[in-house]
Amino acid sequence: MRVLVIEDEPDLLAGIARALRDEGYAVDTAADGEDGLFKAESWPYDLILLDVMLPGRDGWEIVRRLRERGRRVPVLMLTARDAVADRVRGLDSGADDYLTKPFALDELLARVRALIRRGADQPAPVIPLADAVLDLRARVVLRKGRPVPLTPREYALVEYLALHRGCVVSRTDLYDHLFGEDDDTLSNLLDVHVSNIRRKLGHDFIRTRRGHGYCIE
Amino acid sequence: MKVWPRSLRWRLQIWYGALLGAVLAGFAATAFALARESRLRRIDEDLDRRAAALMPAVRAPPRDRPGPPHPAGTPLHEPLPPPIRRPPPSEERGAGVERFRPAPLRVEPLGPPSGLGMEAIEAMLFSGHDRDAAYFVLLSNDGTVVRASASAPALPTNAAPPAADRLIRQRGEFREHVRRLRPGHLLIVGRPIGAELAELRRFGLGLATAATLVWGTAIAVGTRIARRAIQPIEAIAATAARIAGGDLGSRIALHETDSELGSLARVLNETFDRLCEALARQRRFTADASHELRTPLAVILSQAESALARERPAADYREALDACRRAAQRLHHLVESLLTLARLDAGGGGPLNEMVPLDGVAAEALDLLRPLAAERRIEIAADLEPAVCTGRADELAQVALNLVANAIHYNRDGGRIEIATRCDGPNVRLVVKDTGIGMAPEHLPHIFERFYRADPARSRAGGRAGLGLAIAAEVVRRHGGRIDVTSELGRGSEFVVTLPAAAV
Repeated sequence: MRVLVIEDEPDLLAGIARALRDEGYAVDTAADGEDGLFKAESWPYDLILLDVMLPGRDGWEIVRRLRERGRRVPVLMLTARDAVADRVRGLDSGADDYLTKPFALDELLARVRALIRRGADQPAPVIPLADAVLDLRARVVLRKGRPVPLTPREYALVEYLALHRGCVVSRTDLYDHLFGEDDDTLSNLLDVHVSNIRRKLGHDFIRTRRGHGYCIE
Repeated sequence: MKVWPRSLRWRLQIWYGALLGAVLAGFAATAFALARESRLRRIDEDLDRRAAALMPAVRAPPRDRPGPPHPAGTPLHEPLPPPIRRPPPSEERGAGVERFRPAPLRVEPLGPPSGLGMEAIEAMLFSGHDRDAAYFVLLSNDGTVVRASASAPALPTNAAPPAADRLIRQRGEFREHVRRLRPGHLLIVGRPIGAELAELRRFGLGLATAATLVWGTAIAVGTRIARRAIQPIEAIAATAARIAGGDLGSRIALHETDSELGSLARVLNETFDRLCEALARQRRFTADASHELRTPLAVILSQAESALARERPAADYREALDACRRAAQRLHHLVESLLTLARLDAGGGGPLNEMVPLDGVAAEALDLLRPLAAERRIEIAADLEPAVCTGRADELAQVALNLVANAIHYNRDGGRIEIATRCDGPNVRLVVKDTGIGMAPEHLPHIFERFYRADPARSRAGGRAGLGLAIAAEVVRRHGGRIDVTSELGRGSEFVVTLPAAAV
């Protein structure tokens, strides 16, 4: 899952980005409104964390611009303003959720998971797969009740395919959603991850559609 | 039990009604009394005339005896005229009723100089039997009737002889003039006045009716006037109640702006506006303060939580702790500023009676901030003339510090700051000029507002909350001075603090 964090307070941006990366998200960051809007329009993010008070363009304007251009990416707004009018304005301009600073990191991560799930039309937090279960809350794949040891990147790959279960996901899509702007994206990195997952979960867990991409059924 | 109403309107009504009632009653009573008196005076004059005409006839000296008594001692008696209700004395009733005795009494020797006899006068002035006819009665010493006109009513037997020689009296519906002729003789000239009295009663009744009507109308009109007069007060009270209840946008509708109540309403509306504005400012300040406090708190929380989430290399921890320290410093700075403002709002930290050398204060601020300027290769040019004012040194030092810090912060790297103090007559001045980014004219009126920042993003990075200038302005205002700013976008700004010079 690829997340964009737009926040002008550098220490806060760093803290959020580190926490998200710890959870296995690919994280891009932007420190002002212009850069944020540019990135948000350039990449297919699975979620945007957006501060309201930004230099350049403020959060309200960014989310309005995104919605005007038909972007359906879930937007979670972060702000230190907690007046009802501010929250209403944020939600009315197209944000999906609203979190007031200061926030507990656990709550932020839970909201991030919920928004990503809803963005993928997957309302339940548990997705049953062929002979395993994907638990989005604990971020694990369970097989016969026991967690399968996956690296964060491997889990992210399984999660993305599971959220788009039954669909063929192209390699480009996978690169776009699993790797942040700072990640090395060697051309065969994806193949390495896929083969590792197959080793752990069975060869047929991920099917390859030649020339199209990968799929979990 | 409370009888006296609280309502101003009803109190006004009651006073007004009572006063008007008293005036009308007094007026009507006076009119009635005047009418009655004039009517009676006319009657009296008439009776006087008749009596005067009769006098010569009866004044002729009678003999020692007035003559033989009436048969059986019966006084001359006339039948009672119908309106007389009083029963005649019993002995008179018992007497034979001689309706009329053409009395050839002993009066005839009274040859009057006028030549007119009693009969002639009686026939002329006291004839007639109708109710309104005048009458006379001549009484002897012992109260027996010597002579009476035909229409004379019965006299009360027990009537004591009047003490005075002349007397006007009213007996029931008769008006009588009584005159003592010679010792012992009484002449009574009278006439019934029932018709006049009835007329007076009618007049009185009409007067009372008219007065009541006028009173009622006036009360009704007064009620309307009072209601209309009170209405704006009620509207004002209702509006004030709505505002007290939380509807801060409510205002008194101004219908008549010229009246006293109109100007009161206008004053109240202006007061409400100012209160609302102050409240909004306070609310904005609270919102801004909480916003500024929250951001560093969010940094501390998120950094600490994410650092603690798992084992990390030492460098990561150091980085997280560093971020926390920065945020805490920012919080510290912010809380200090807020406390300073709160102290200033509460009246400041103490009396403004120190002699403060403004040049020394500026020099100290420069010394403190010189390293900061050096970091960004900003050149500082100081031209400090001795300038002494009265006030608090620590507060004025804060002003200088804030202005210089701003001049550094908003400067470009390698820029320049000029600081000067001047003493010109009654004022001392502190001038801080920078070659920084400057401000657009639309921001200038607001830069001394709390938390106002011309460019929110730019200034926040330095841990500035937008309170420095607000504090400076507050301190200067408290010292009786002023702070002016000129600025050009992209070229820099100049702040001039003007304070009253210390009295030497």
